[in-house]
Amino acid sequence: MKDLQHLIFFENLLTEVNNDLVREGRDRGDVCVGTTCFQLPEVVYSLPGVFPVYLRAPRTGSIDMGTYYMTSMTCEFARALLERGLEGGYQFLDCLIAPAACSQMADCIENMERLNVNKKDDFFIQLVDAPMKNDDNAIRHMTNMCRRRILEPLHEKYGIDISDKALKKAVKIHNDVCKAINKIGEYRKEDNPRITGYEFAVICTATFAAPKDLILPYLKETVKELKTREPDEDYAKKYRARVLLCGSEIDDPAYIKDIEDAGANVVFDRYCFGSYPARIPIELNDEEDILFQICRQSVTTNQCPRYMDGATIDNRKKVIDTLAKEYKADGIIVEQMKFCNFWGYERAAMTNFLRDDYGWPVLSLDKPYVAGGQGQLRTRVQAFVESIEIKKINNK
Amino acid sequence: MGKEINSQALGEFYKGGRTRTHREWRGLKDTWYDYTRWLYIWKCMMKFMSKPQNIKGFFRYRWMLNYLSTLDFLDRHTEGLRGPQLRIAHKEFDMIVEHMIDSMTNLFSADQHIGGDPEKSKKMVLFDENMMTQIMNGFPNLMCVVPEIPPIYTSSTMAQDGILHYFDVAEEYGVPGDVCPMPAAELGVAIEDDYPKVGCCMVECNTTCDGSMMGNGIEARRFSLPTFQVAVPIRYTDEETKEYAAQEIRNAIKFIEDQTGEKFDWDAYFDRMKTFNGETECFREWLEVSKTDYPQVIGNNVALYRDAYYQVVGGRDRTFLENEQAICKLMYEAYDKKVPVVSEVRHRAILWGVQAQYYSAFPVWLQNCWGIVPLIDMLSLTSTDFYSENDKDQAMYDLADLYAKENMRNRSEGGLAVGVDDLWRFCEEFRADMVIMYEHTRCKSMTGYHGIFEDEARKHNVHLVWVTHGLMDPRIASRQDMRTEVNRYMRTVLQEEPIDPSLEEFDDSNAW
Repeated sequence: MKDLQHLIFFENLLTEVNNDLVREGRDRGDVCVGTTCFQLPEVVYSLPGVFPVYLRAPRTGSIDMGTYYMTSMTCEFARALLERGLEGGYQFLDCLIAPAACSQMADCIENMERLNVNKKDDFFIQLVDAPMKNDDNAIRHMTNMCRRRILEPLHEKYGIDISDKALKKAVKIHNDVCKAINKIGEYRKEDNPRITGYEFAVICTATFAAPKDLILPYLKETVKELKTREPDEDYAKKYRARVLLCGSEIDDPAYIKDIEDAGANVVFDRYCFGSYPARIPIELNDEEDILFQICRQSVTTNQCPRYMDGATIDNRKKVIDTLAKEYKADGIIVEQMKFCNFWGYERAAMTNFLRDDYGWPVLSLDKPYVAGGQGQLRTRVQAFVESIEIKKINNK
Repeated sequence: MGKEINSQALGEFYKGGRTRTHREWRGLKDTWYDYTRWLYIWKCMMKFMSKPQNIKGFFRYRWMLNYLSTLDFLDRHTEGLRGPQLRIAHKEFDMIVEHMIDSMTNLFSADQHIGGDPEKSKKMVLFDENMMTQIMNGFPNLMCVVPEIPPIYTSSTMAQDGILHYFDVAEEYGVPGDVCPMPAAELGVAIEDDYPKVGCCMVECNTTCDGSMMGNGIEARRFSLPTFQVAVPIRYTDEETKEYAAQEIRNAIKFIEDQTGEKFDWDAYFDRMKTFNGETECFREWLEVSKTDYPQVIGNNVALYRDAYYQVVGGRDRTFLENEQAICKLMYEAYDKKVPVVSEVRHRAILWGVQAQYYSAFPVWLQNCWGIVPLIDMLSLTSTDFYSENDKDQAMYDLADLYAKENMRNRSEGGLAVGVDDLWRFCEEFRADMVIMYEHTRCKSMTGYHGIFEDEARKHNVHLVWVTHGLMDPRIASRQDMRTEVNRYMRTVLQEEPIDPSLEEFDDSNAW
């Protein structure tokens, strides 16, 4: 296929956290909020004059300091973020607002606070309690926490407009980004998709790494470009199976590239930094409180294993089954970041349930944070692809 | 050999076998007392085995084998103790044995796996092991059952290798080997269908940790009972979470009412909370005495017992309160006589982090080998507040507070303020010069504070002795590995010699 016009630009945005668009946003005077995880609605820190950057640690090498503070038995992602913070990589942030989602990431953030990783005078860190169930009480709690622990501090500290009008504007831009991403992603349903899983991962991940309004023009141009893009003629030679990839945090599309190089086309992404559910547009009505509606959307669409109520646990598997069918996947890859407690269990559960209850071929993987170029991963994926092919032959 | 502490080389009991070579001679009076308690436990166990349902349970469940080591368990936890400490230990541990026997008799009598009474089973509400049970104080006609305790929690303290099989089952299912062994083993029991089949509904919780919560999700599927999950706020010290937490309690109560047809009985609730408050009052007195030069209720004599009455019993059994009042009496008598708990007080220590279940007798080793007085442990330093005995609205907030302050999560969640900073406050209050820092390598919560602990200990000029362990899996770090870490610190950093050199290194790798 012909290269996408902005692919290198998007790739470059991912090579560092304080990238060109982040600098542009800050240069115009916007407040830059660092955050982690997807347990809080992104739009509450995407108001006019403020934008979120999801913390990543691209090009991570040694994580010795992170390991000293958090030991070698904790999540590498959390350790890599702490390392980057200690190295001074997050000095550009104006504040850090994160959900107390998993204890390891919460520990990472607390370590950052205690170790004073950002020297700005006004810099503050806010760890926000986030609900763990999909019910009315959880939505009310989320609404309260967003108001009291995110909006009000942003207003008090930086004078950010937190009115309903500002929230609506944030939702509008958020929805524009979502619609663009979804349009791009829809092409993966095609029998011969005109976009690869890797390309989509690059574009989607970039939307979490830059101010929304600044990245939007590039997304729109990409949408336009894809309308006429010719798919690869040798698709069937390159990809011998279509897979849905679900699991924990992946912020480096190189991991998807490795999977695709081994013959499995990633046709859907249901992982942290993926498009689902983070890129579902928010539909607002005029009757209810705006913030409440935003929080309801966040709670009811949440797919993280930390949501513990039985109905949501079952629904997570149903969602995967539905999406896999919709995107014509042949199999499912469930991955987890090594040492992730949530996904450690969820991977085991998903693997068993999707295989036994839904009849899907499932490949179960764990991964380190820096995962690109893994020979072991390729071997596992190749074997999985072959097993899918054998099943297809047997079914005939 | 004699009535004085450290009059015998205790390490000589261990010759690499399952049991010790002989019983301890503690002087005539203490040996006779200990022997009568030994006979009493035999009597309790024989009474237990005289019931046909219990015999069926014994042969149905592989984990029941662990309870053959009950007497050895008691010996381990009373090793080297004399006088009041020996009596306090027996008051506590014997009580736990009695309580366990009652609980298991109840469990087996209703167990559908072995033909138990289905009507009785319908009156049972299952509670997750890692949660407080005080909600059940308002349901006097129902029975609170914690199914994971007999197969896993207690089993792992009875025999160090008692539950290894269930880790393997969980790993075979696909759970990674790096998660905490406790929820993994609990899940293993569920996968093998080795829980007694009882109950009309279940209440689970997100305490104590992420792994525990995740194991519950899969377990619930195995139990196939209507289940309610209580979501306790992670940042529970944040005032903004209080209303949410209280509403979770209200919803849990409504769930139990709906499932059982019972109504929450406020009189029963307040009556039992009065008992619970009484127990808190006793505990506060223990702590106050432990801050003096003559601490009495320390180490093993706090840890497991506090777990039991604070979390599992929760005020529903008044005999626990009476027991604690009797302990207070013993404590004050000993304090007045300035009775020492060790032959030579070398260091006053706080035990922080989560203890190793397979070496719950570790504190008594600290006392006997090195003269380190384990004043109090992290899991026992939970809420010491008094809760309302008459205000219905306040009661919901009280319960929410208690649920947030469950034994482990009280410190593992809630942030550095409660997980790290409180430690130095306790060191000051208890005049401790040493922290025995348990590092449960697979605990994803507390290990994240590792470096901060190091930094802060230096600032506070406190000896921080790391003791690595695997909670319920001695293959990660054996009992001797744990001892070796202390030995090295004592010899190399503090340049001290042990009080009982026979305890420095001995072979208990095959012991129960």
